[in-house]
This record gives sequence, C-alpha cells and structure tokens, in this order.
Amino acid sequence: MAEVHVIGQIMGASGFSESSLFCKWGIHTGAAWKLLSGVREGQTQVDTPQIGDMAYWSHPIDLHFATKGLQGWPRLHFQVWSQDSFGRCQLAGYGFCHVPSSPGTHQLACPTWRPLGSWREQLARAFVGGGPQLLHGDTIYSGADRYRLHTAAGGTVHLEIGLLLRNFDRYGVEC
Amino acid sequence: MATASPSVFLLMVNGQVESAQFPEYDDLYCKYCFVYGQDWAPTAGLEEGISQITSKSQDVRQALVWNFPIDVTFKSTNPYGWPQIVLSVYGPDVFGNDVVRGYGAVHVPFSPGRHKRTIPMFVPESTSKLQKFTSWFMGRRPEYTDPKVVAQGEGREAQLRTPGHLHALPIVPSIHRLCSPGKVSTLVTASCSFACPAPA
Repeated sequence: MAEVHVIGQIMGASGFSESSLFCKWGIHTGAAWKLLSGVREGQTQVDTPQIGDMAYWSHPIDLHFATKGLQGWPRLHFQVWSQDSFGRCQLAGYGFCHVPSSPGTHQLACPTWRPLGSWREQLARAFVGGGPQLLHGDTIYSGADRYRLHTAAGGTVHLEIGLLLRNFDRYGVEC
Repeated sequence: MATASPSVFLLMVNGQVESAQFPEYDDLYCKYCFVYGQDWAPTAGLEEGISQITSKSQDVRQALVWNFPIDVTFKSTNPYGWPQIVLSVYGPDVFGNDVVRGYGAVHVPFSPGRHKRTIPMFVPESTSKLQKFTSWFMGRRPEYTDPKVVAQGEGREAQLRTPGHLHALPIVPSIHRLCSPGKVSTLVTASCSFACPAPA
C-alpha cells in the first residue's frame, strides 16, 4: 500500500471583515484511502489579532494515510467562523483545497466564500447577525448542486503543508 | 530486499532562535522545547532550553535578539509525529512579575537545508473584563501549565470553555481566547540522514 504523510499547519486567515475568527477543518478522502494515524477533523482556537489583520492559529495537522488508489486524493475543507463578545458564532466563509501531490513543503492560500441569502437575510445579517449556512457540509468540497447557490467572497485561509510520499513507485506512480 | 524491515532514520536539527518582534513588550526571554510522536526519540543534544533576557535595541529596528542555539538529533521509524518546536516567551509586567507574552509552535522542516521561519505568537486571554483587570492587577495571567499543549491539534476549542489548565484566578469560568501580540523568527538548519540496519 502506498502511504502519504500530510504534516503542516493551518497558519491563519486574512482578509475577513470580522475579527475573532476560528476555523473548523476536516479532510475528505475517497473510499480507497485509510487513515492510519492522526485526527481527521478539528477546530482551532479563536484568535483576535492585535497586530495587522491576519488571525493566526498555527494549528498543527499530522495525518498518515494508506491508499490503494489515486482516486479521492485528500481534500482539506474549512469553515471559518467569527465569535463576538457575547459568544455568538457567525459564519465567515467556507473553503477547500486539495492536498498537494508532490512531496515537499507547500504554502497554500485557500479562498473562501459564504452563501448570500435574500436581501432580507442580508439586511438581518448586517444588523442582527446570523445568515444562511449550508445544510450539508459536503457541498464545500464537491461540485454537485453548487449551481443552486449565490455566494459572496470571504477572506483567505493560509496553510503550510508538507507532504511525504512512500511506495508510490512500486505502483508505477511518479511523483 | 524481499521484506522491508522498519528502517530507522535520523533527523538532525541545528539552528537558533534568532530574534523577536514584540512592539509592546521589552526585556523578554524565551524557552523552547520539542513535542514529538511516540515513534520519535531524541538521541543527542538538548531538547529544552531557556535563553537569556534581552532588551530592545535603541535604534530604529527595535529588535529583540537572542541568537539562542538549538542543537538536537532525533531518531524515528515513522514520520507521523514529526517534531514540533514550541516556543514560549516571558517578560516582566508593570509590577515586575514574570508573565507569559506568547506561545508558538512550528514543525521542524522536512527537507534538508537552511530554513528561516517566522512564528506568530499568541497568548490566552480571558473574555471577561473583570478577570482581565484582576489578572493584570495581580500579575497572574492565564498561562498554560504545560506549554506543550500549543503543539497539539485536539482540544484547542476546549480552551474556549474550560479554564482548568490555565493558571488564572478562578473567579469566573470564562471563555479564553487567544490574541496575537508578536512574532519570533527562528533559523533552522535541518539535515536528514537515513541509516538502515544491515540485512542479516
């Protein structure tokens, strides 16, 4: 079985209009992939930037996969939320990116989007907070049914991901 | 070779904690330690250290320089649990007590060569204004009893709810958030050599 190590950090997020952000992340893989060690999803702490507008999480990611096929190459997906001083959480953006396929260290910048509702919902979001959210999280990383959505841009999630591959040459895959 | 025996590889890390930028704080020292998985063990060098106390330079750079050496070698059979270096920066507050100014962590680089990393630092903060004032006044800020939690992925959201591990006045169980006050830059040279046991 070929093995993939994904080791890195979710560095932080920039470009969001809200401060006090946290991120729920997860990794989605195809059926041929098996997670040998590590946690498949998690949530960062809430960060309030004091200097500049980038919220830093430095959240470590360490995953070890074994796979029998290339289909379903891992995808990291994110939900960025903001928390206000009353403890309420509001969605700031959804985003996903594929894990790189060449070994080494990669800097990834993942853009995010959030669903816009009707003009009434947008007005309510501006004053009271809240706003529409996705019912099914898999729309974040899959293309099916996206045509139904009308979205607006959020900020960018920054990652530094290192990739180590093992035994791919035994299966005739060059990387 | 027909069967693959588990091969041991070594990771040698040389470098230094170079300097820091903390616009609001002065007279800081830093501590480093390594966090690694179960398959890893240090074979040589020091895995923890405390630096000197440094003050900001008088010139326009306002640099806080430690130039503090890091020299450690790990051995492992599995990349899972790749070592992370955890840095904690401490300094005096207005009343002279030693308080934490930031925590940060980064993975040791994967590829051999010279790497410079700038690590953002963050500090736990209470959201209750009363607790913020009392901790400022008494000099007992929320801090981690074990800085190694900074390198872990699980339980970070739990920091928002439980003040259990935090050394703070337990007046109000409050939600702790983290605010980022500064950056530390680290120069790390990593070289990785593979040593496979000879087949019998």
